[in-house]
Amino acid sequence: MKKLLILPVALAALLAGGAVRVVQDQCGPFTDVTPAFCPYILELYYLGVTAGTSATTFSPDDPLTRGQGSVFVAKGLNQALARSSRRAALGQWWTTKTQNALGSTTVGANPVFTVADGADVWVTFSEHVLRVRASDARILETWTGATQLNGAIVAAMGQVFVTGYSAGGNHWAIFRIDPSQSDTTMADVATIPSPISIAFDGARLWTANGDSRSISITTPGPTLPWSTTTVNPPDLGETFYLTFDGAHMWVTATNQQFVEFDEAGNILRSVPLDFGSNLGKPVFDGANFWIPDFGHNAVIVVRASDGTVVTTLTAAEMVTPTIAAFDGTRVLVSCTDGVFLWNAADLTPIGFTPTGAASSPYGSSSDGINFWIPLEGIDQLVRF
Amino acid sequence: MKRLSIASVALLALLAGGAVRVVQDQCGPFTDVTPAFCPYILELYYLGVTAGTSATTFSPDDPLTRGQGSVFVAKGLNQALARSSRRAALGQWWTTTPHWDLGLGVTTLGSSPRWVACDGSDIWVGGENPGAGVARVRGSDGKLIENHSAMNPQDIVIAMGRVFAVVETAPFTGGLYSIDPSQPDSEAVLVGQTDAGAGDPEGLAFDGSKFWIGLNGNSMWTFTPSPSLPWTGQAVPVGSFYNPIFDGTFIWAAGGPSLVRISSDGSTKLTVPVPATVQRLVFDGANVWATTTSPDSVVVVSAGGTIVANLTGNGLFLPGALAFDGQRILVTNANDSISLWTAADLTPLGSVQTGAGTNPSSVCSDGVNFWVALRGSGQLARF
Repeated sequence: MKKLLILPVALAALLAGGAVRVVQDQCGPFTDVTPAFCPYILELYYLGVTAGTSATTFSPDDPLTRGQGSVFVAKGLNQALARSSRRAALGQWWTTKTQNALGSTTVGANPVFTVADGADVWVTFSEHVLRVRASDARILETWTGATQLNGAIVAAMGQVFVTGYSAGGNHWAIFRIDPSQSDTTMADVATIPSPISIAFDGARLWTANGDSRSISITTPGPTLPWSTTTVNPPDLGETFYLTFDGAHMWVTATNQQFVEFDEAGNILRSVPLDFGSNLGKPVFDGANFWIPDFGHNAVIVVRASDGTVVTTLTAAEMVTPTIAAFDGTRVLVSCTDGVFLWNAADLTPIGFTPTGAASSPYGSSSDGINFWIPLEGIDQLVRF
Repeated sequence: MKRLSIASVALLALLAGGAVRVVQDQCGPFTDVTPAFCPYILELYYLGVTAGTSATTFSPDDPLTRGQGSVFVAKGLNQALARSSRRAALGQWWTTTPHWDLGLGVTTLGSSPRWVACDGSDIWVGGENPGAGVARVRGSDGKLIENHSAMNPQDIVIAMGRVFAVVETAPFTGGLYSIDPSQPDSEAVLVGQTDAGAGDPEGLAFDGSKFWIGLNGNSMWTFTPSPSLPWTGQAVPVGSFYNPIFDGTFIWAAGGPSLVRISSDGSTKLTVPVPATVQRLVFDGANVWATTTSPDSVVVVSAGGTIVANLTGNGLFLPGALAFDGQRILVTNANDSISLWTAADLTPLGSVQTGAGTNPSSVCSDGVNFWVALRGSGQLARF
């Protein structure tokens, strides 16, 4: 195993007058590691997690301090995240840096929001939804049947759901797109009071209903319309963007709050935010929520487990942040004519990339390889 | 929280006559772990990261040595990598023994495939013969679905939703072509060209803002995308370096018996001498792997430029192309075989014959399979 790794070390030791027995006992560059520990210590050495305590020693019997332990775990975690992304397998280690390096597709007037289903990307417009193949951005289908689509969209249960106004029924509703069907007309599945956003909790569709100051929970059933329960939590103000953290649903509300619900729609926790009421669409990264605050050009990071505000991020280039997206390792936030990125694990900024004058990037999403950004101002869908 | 585990332990303890209070305090097999630590310690126990300090104790208050900490982190990392791969979700825990001679897992192409690149859904294959184009093969089923215009490429890179190929457009002149996959059977468009006589093009990389072409000449060349054609090209006078890759920060390229690490603006250069002639490179998130010949080996260099290992054996024979699938490194050999290593700990996984006369020449990964261009048999094979 690793013959040439051992051979140069042996050669170096011989040249230095070292005993052969000692050399054969070596573990990579380390002379003080026993065979039982060697594979694990060498793995961390190869991965750059540790360089040892000197050029030739690891000091395996020394106590591990809390600081050293933190370095081991954090660097190990970073390696796991970097290598397990689909971009790693594809060798796509770059981050797009310039406007001209964005792969763009012309998709028609005013694309607003996107959602990725793992194979395709769905793009909302005011009166239709476009299906775009993620592998090559080829436009596949146009879905119609509703008006005043406000951009809310979620992919769930093998289908895609949007909210808008019924073309013939004079009511706000959830509309269903069944991608397996050749008839590209959306189906009205539930009547909802003025929905602003939509999210799925694994069993039910939730909508936040804006100036109705309510939350609706719709349960899929064998017949239409699906049953809906609407709750009016007190003191929330208008409700905007829903985000599910794997256990509970959260919503942004105008009374400077980020609110967690139980399964019945009762308030479990309210996180007061002192940064005003201009909150954009959050994203959950597996541990934290990233909440754009376009009133104060900031992104607020809130820990899901206890509602603690971990930090508030700002940057000179980040003007009017509105929508956040997460690709497994990075968080992207749409701003005025550009996007800002951070590493999600350690919150380090990656930087700002302009998307062009008057491009107005908005409802971004990720398919695990690319971020997809609708440029509402110039009718483009770009991959990042 | 792990109710069944606690219930089972409680039942066992009751059957053994244990006191209820002690049983309720237990954490899996461990009697000395408090509830606050229990979920995390049990997770490591269930994952095989630790077996405790005895059959019934974990000794949570004992100090951890650096060696023990390394075992925890390395085993935890290996679990994370194994479980987060797309192969895990698909239940594909095997390493393939090919049956390409039986027609299983291969796509027959019209010409000798020389270069491959994976875009996450499809595989793009550049033919070697003059006039050979770029074929598009669907990754899910290996079906040949399109051919794009002829160009005889010298390398292929997927970027910005397009397929880019570097071509020798005239003797000692490199051209960069773009294919738009959203358009079926589209013509490749020449987007930039080096100066005449700049050198034979060998390899192509993208750094997030510009393309780098390796040249057998005095410089590398970069091309920066722009709204109008041709794109701006610029010589980077770093010397004759070829087969570039990008590691997220730097460009790396081969240059005889050395690797070179170049800053994205081309202003700084770090040369890493290696024992033999470098062929091709791949980056695995921490290290650059480089195949070398005479003698045959794979050199592993840290992103900082330190040689951390020089791997031999494992079936290496005039090794050529490499690819990384998130866990494994695959290397093609000139004796109709491929060799594999685990990327994290550099453990050799063995070599596999690809069939007489198949001549594997290039490889990429889509995160599920490796895709190997079999230059000799005119096939694309999944591994």
